[in-house]
Amino acid sequence: MARVSLIIPTFSRPHLLPRAVESAVRAGRDVEVIVVDDASSDQTASVCASLRDIKYVRVDRNQGVAGARNIGVLASTSEFIAFLDDDDLRLPASLEHQLSLFNEMPEAGFVAGGVLLADQDCAPNGKAAVVRPQRGDLFWPILELSVHLIPGSVVVRKSCFRAVGLFNKRLAGIDDWDMWVRIAELYPVLVDQQPVCVYRCATPASAQGSSALARHLHSAVKHQRRLLSLPRAKSEPYWRRRAVRRKTKRRIADTLTWRAAEELPHGAWQFAASNFVTSVRLSPMWALRPTHVRVLCQSFSNQKKLSRPDARD
Amino acid sequence: MPGISVIIATRNRCALLPRAVESARRAATDVEIVIVDDASDDQTAEVCARWSNLQCVRYVRAQRRLGLGGARNVGLISSTAPYVTFLDDDDIRLPDSLDRQVALLDADTRAGMIYARAFYGDEDCRPTDDFYPEFCPEGDVFWQILVQNFIPCPTVVLRRACLARVGLLEEDAPGIEDWDLWVRMCELFPVLALEEPVAIWRQPTDDSDQFTSRSERLRRLARRLHRDKWLKLPRVVQAGPARRRQIAKAFARRAAQEMVWQSAASLKNKQLREFTRVAFASARLHPIGTSKIILSETLASLQE
Repeated sequence: MARVSLIIPTFSRPHLLPRAVESAVRAGRDVEVIVVDDASSDQTASVCASLRDIKYVRVDRNQGVAGARNIGVLASTSEFIAFLDDDDLRLPASLEHQLSLFNEMPEAGFVAGGVLLADQDCAPNGKAAVVRPQRGDLFWPILELSVHLIPGSVVVRKSCFRAVGLFNKRLAGIDDWDMWVRIAELYPVLVDQQPVCVYRCATPASAQGSSALARHLHSAVKHQRRLLSLPRAKSEPYWRRRAVRRKTKRRIADTLTWRAAEELPHGAWQFAASNFVTSVRLSPMWALRPTHVRVLCQSFSNQKKLSRPDARD
Repeated sequence: MPGISVIIATRNRCALLPRAVESARRAATDVEIVIVDDASDDQTAEVCARWSNLQCVRYVRAQRRLGLGGARNVGLISSTAPYVTFLDDDDIRLPDSLDRQVALLDADTRAGMIYARAFYGDEDCRPTDDFYPEFCPEGDVFWQILVQNFIPCPTVVLRRACLARVGLLEEDAPGIEDWDLWVRMCELFPVLALEEPVAIWRQPTDDSDQFTSRSERLRRLARRLHRDKWLKLPRVVQAGPARRRQIAKAFARRAAQEMVWQSAASLKNKQLREFTRVAFASARLHPIGTSKIILSETLASLQE
């Protein structure tokens, strides 16, 4: 019996899948790679038939990422479970490293690692998602979204799913965050800074799930209210919960403005507009602060400068 | 490896649980029982400790309330056998019934699941003379199950491989998660039926027998799922709009019929408040179906 199962939910991406699977097979010595084909209608099945060392699970009716992850958990036989998206990569021997962290802290619910950011071809662009190594009770930081976890970087103990239940199918795009919060409510967790996976950053045009940043973050804010009714949060005084709400909304407004400013020079109009509208809806006083407006205006004028030479050509 | 997993989701019913577990142990020779304790506040954990030395009984405790669907899903990921059945903590499986059903499923490898009849039980789960369902259609029952749920949950044995292909139980459909699963299973796989009772299905007591807000909520939920999910399954879409309309009509008619019967019964018992409640709910949820039934009944009585 393998020690860790790595679950790769996939939907209609046969060109990207082999790369992810290959990296998954090399990620640990004793790893069971489970590819959950979420009712793809293209040649995913034949691509999977040519891949070796995997357990192929086909779902006949599309379940969404969360549902496919659940099916993967159902098919897994090991004590630890890791997830990988079909467009991301696992670094070699990263699972070994994370399992050794579990030896260090046997009561941990999950262990998260660092993430290398990459462009659309999954070539690391030198940046890394900033992760501060922390351990212990991280319920509040995760709930406030100040620890951002990517599903590919996390190894979970399977017994946690028995205690808190499976992924919520209705929360498209934020089902993983919901799960980490529910686990961190009951178990101590460990966040390590050593990079373990390569994350293919979404661009506004890449049609990845996370391209719809504004929508996801908005639904995260809405869902946070339900997470704040978890027994652990409910036992806290009202002002604390309100502070969490405010902090999260401001942080999300910051992120949205920053991403909009980043993409605006590349002509991502719609993306910037939806980010701006969402941030104003979440926290008007914060989103319309002079610094935010100035950043946006600067990036807007950059766009004019950038586009002018193009126009002359 | 055990031949069949019995998943018992339980919440705050430690007095009833042992009966269900013992009946499951007698129902099959090679059985694995997974008790999922859905964050009970009572002595369920202590009660379950009595089976801790048994290999075949496994106790899983959820720390947070998951609901019936969520708890059964946890039972699914905690069990290993190729066949799965769900047993409620207040129901009873009859001796050797699981073995018979598993043998039938073994014989027909195409079938995704098998169901059977269940005795209605009284409050102490003693079998009455009544059983359900009267007719047990076999094979492709997709169109029938879309109209009415005739499959009693404790009698079903599912093939795990087929379950994985249609997805786990819905957690957002409290009360009719079983119906939702049957619909999705029947869409893809033929089903088998065993025309004899295999379980005792404890019926709710008098006070909950009435048309409560819960049953109205269930009817509303069923209507929503039927419209937004089941009628959008690929097989219904392929069958074309005419078939879709026909099924939608049959569903509304059936639901209205049940409610009209119920209101008539309460009128007969001189429960006026109950009668108005059911009648109004029926008219609200399925106005066309209800008015059609009332019209046809009136016409029939006029002809007499």
